[in-house]
Amino acid sequence: MSEVLLEGREIVKVFPGVRALDGVGLRLEAGAVHALLGENGAGKSTLIKVLTGVHPPDGGQLLWRGEAVRFRSPLEAARTGIGVVHQERNLVPGFSVAENICLQAPPSRRGMIDRAAMSAPALRCLAEIGVDLDPQTPVGQLSVAQKQLVEIAKALFTESRVLLLDEPTASLSPQETERLFEVIRRLAARGTCVVFVSHKLEEVFAVCDTVTVLRDGQSVLDSAPLAQYTHDDVVNLMVGRAHTTAGLAPRTCDTASPPALALSGVSTAAGHRDISLDVRVGEIVGLYGLVGAGRSELAKAILGLDRIEAGEIRVHGTPVRINSPRQALHKHGIGYVTENRKEEGVFLEQPIVRNITVTVWRKLARALGYVPAKEERATAADLVARLGIRISGLQQLAGELSGGNQQKVSLAKWLAADTRLLIVDEPTVGVDIRTKRAFHELLWELAGKGLAILLISSDLGEMVTLADRVVVMGNYRRLGETDNDHDYEEMSGRIIRLIHGRPEEAVAPAERNPA
Amino acid sequence: MSTTTAPPAPPAPDATAETAGPSGRLPFWVNQQLGLFVLVIALAALFGLLRPAFFNAQFVLFPLLSDISTLTVVALAQMVVLSVGHMNLAVGRMASFGAMFAGLGYDRLHLPLILGLLLCLVAGTAIGALAGWVIARTGVSSFVVTLAMDFALLGLVSLLYTALTDNAAFTTTPSGMAELRSYSLADICAGPICGSNAIPQLGQFAVLALVGLGFLYRYTRTGRELLLTGANPAAAELSGIPTGRRIITAHALSGLLAALAGFMAAVSTGSFRASIGGEFMLPSFLGAVLGGTLLTGGVVSVLGALLGTSLVDVIRKGLDLLGVGLESLNIYLGGVLLLALSADRIRNVVSYRKVVRST
Repeated sequence: MSEVLLEGREIVKVFPGVRALDGVGLRLEAGAVHALLGENGAGKSTLIKVLTGVHPPDGGQLLWRGEAVRFRSPLEAARTGIGVVHQERNLVPGFSVAENICLQAPPSRRGMIDRAAMSAPALRCLAEIGVDLDPQTPVGQLSVAQKQLVEIAKALFTESRVLLLDEPTASLSPQETERLFEVIRRLAARGTCVVFVSHKLEEVFAVCDTVTVLRDGQSVLDSAPLAQYTHDDVVNLMVGRAHTTAGLAPRTCDTASPPALALSGVSTAAGHRDISLDVRVGEIVGLYGLVGAGRSELAKAILGLDRIEAGEIRVHGTPVRINSPRQALHKHGIGYVTENRKEEGVFLEQPIVRNITVTVWRKLARALGYVPAKEERATAADLVARLGIRISGLQQLAGELSGGNQQKVSLAKWLAADTRLLIVDEPTVGVDIRTKRAFHELLWELAGKGLAILLISSDLGEMVTLADRVVVMGNYRRLGETDNDHDYEEMSGRIIRLIHGRPEEAVAPAERNPA
Repeated sequence: MSTTTAPPAPPAPDATAETAGPSGRLPFWVNQQLGLFVLVIALAALFGLLRPAFFNAQFVLFPLLSDISTLTVVALAQMVVLSVGHMNLAVGRMASFGAMFAGLGYDRLHLPLILGLLLCLVAGTAIGALAGWVIARTGVSSFVVTLAMDFALLGLVSLLYTALTDNAAFTTTPSGMAELRSYSLADICAGPICGSNAIPQLGQFAVLALVGLGFLYRYTRTGRELLLTGANPAAAELSGIPTGRRIITAHALSGLLAALAGFMAAVSTGSFRASIGGEFMLPSFLGAVLGGTLLTGGVVSVLGALLGTSLVDVIRKGLDLLGVGLESLNIYLGGVLLLALSADRIRNVVSYRKVVRST
């Protein structure tokens, strides 16, 4: 048995009104890839913060190589050898790669930062994870995946023996994810313990050796070998009851009336060329593509946030020019559930009632702009009930809700306004299985009631579950379209072929000559 | 009238975000407005105890309340722009700009009192709207734009005063202005019962502004849209709020309130001079922020602006009566303000610990 690096026993952490961690045990061994699983709100983030010295534990014990330790700051934890790559990117965009990697302890000469001496250690760290990057590149110019790797290199610079990765694959493409896994395996091979937090179980099973499952602040599975468990076992442990994967009721869409939204030959100032697609009433059309394919940008252009240079947009058959999101909302009934809910979707520091009713104040307002509080609350309460949003009161701040509930709040405001077309951008990123499932049912049901939905997602499983048709985009162009037969294997094959520019008839020769 | 939402976040807002249960509320006594109110009353009582003259209606309370009225309107002028996450560094100069128009109207056009006031408010609104328009249009930060505006107006106002007057002040005052300056509630009688002679009639403007803004932020669509624009401009725009227009609204309102404060200052000093509003900027932030308005936008407290301003003025007046010299007065004032603000933080931390322990 290999050496135990970090061990937590009976860890307790209390916040006002809630025991976020209530007796959590965890054993991290050298050379292992350890999965930390749990639904939103189960306490994963809190546990990571306790392990890295952000929060002092209110009870229990932390042992570093068998000795009790107490971290008073993240810096102390980092010096001990615990590195973390948070969900939010923590790089300084204006600094170079080398400067970011050496940020914790920059080499200095006579009290001045020695810029030249930075390159060598930065290159060494990058080489360790097999990444080829110029250390002088400003971080702001890197892709999301590259930034992720720089963060890992940064953690290596402080000689982390334990490396915590919080949802590292949330915004990576499949290829980038695979590369990250290689890095993880390489790190494990040289004796680092990598803790991997993810909602994507396929990834967990692909890369992890041991697993800890949290539920309601307690560890229901404590550092067990993952090989002994199946996919379903783990889900049941996380959810706490048998998880059913019943199918969704069939649904038909209206093919007689003109589409709710039709783009023909649309080119935008953002760089889209000749995009055509249509979304019928009651239909869910998936817009699939890798990160950077220009899908969110297309949504924003439809809402009037970017200039349409050519082509035509029709809403329910009428050609329109949309100049602003409010015109899209009030005149055409188009809503946009944003990808980045914390920055563009919800008002974190504002009460839930305002978050939901923001789109309908115009409708509710009487003389002098007076908005009757009673009707406002009724509207919000109705949606909270309809979407099953778990809140303590309508005046609760949206920022206090879990990610899934925040996402529901950002959807609720569009339902409040009775939108007829909804553009939903990556609705379930960072959302746990149960909420994801509920969200899928919700979107399905809304479409069944006649809402037209344009679904932007990088989650192929989500596409296959929900969409009626999938339009594939790449590099700001439309690559093709395929009907969805709800068969994952079949669909993923077709979509990947579209992405790589190999339509079905051209597949055979291409396979004979792999590039 | 207070539109504050919850008290400032506890030390670990990000952690509670994931886990906050239904009982995560802090107790009622962690309320900034209540704390301020108690503090103002207690300090007034203390000063009254040490110097009974503090409660002299005519020579202490009347001027004190006049000052509080004017500075409350100044604080409100700042609060309105803070609500959209902006600031107005030209608040004092906008006041003098507005007051100049009133003076000009009285001096050259011989306008009656009320029309001069109206002219003043229109001028203030216009200059505020201009600042807002530049900000919304160019996307340059309000700090830079209003700072530039401050310098421009500083020059413009003094130039105009030099060109239009003999000794840098409009001396003609309309009928009714002297009364407005010196009358108190004692001059308003309902039958045999008259009001207190400590409360100046000038206070009516402050009350009007407080009620108006209280209504705006608590009950109207515009008020809510201002707050959400301040809370998260990107999300507001995507939610269909006309954020550009709301930014202009906020700055125009700020200009209006600044001009009103300029008018009030001119009335209480008796003349329209270029120097009006010169000392408005710091109190404007102090009153608003002490009252619970966030510098980052999205949270305002209308009543808090009154309480915050009252606290500063009561301390100033009290220390003055105790014979503290002007220079050392400012040192004490700084100390007391620091204490007042930390007291708020201490209350928060203590109650947070208490809630944690009980879980």
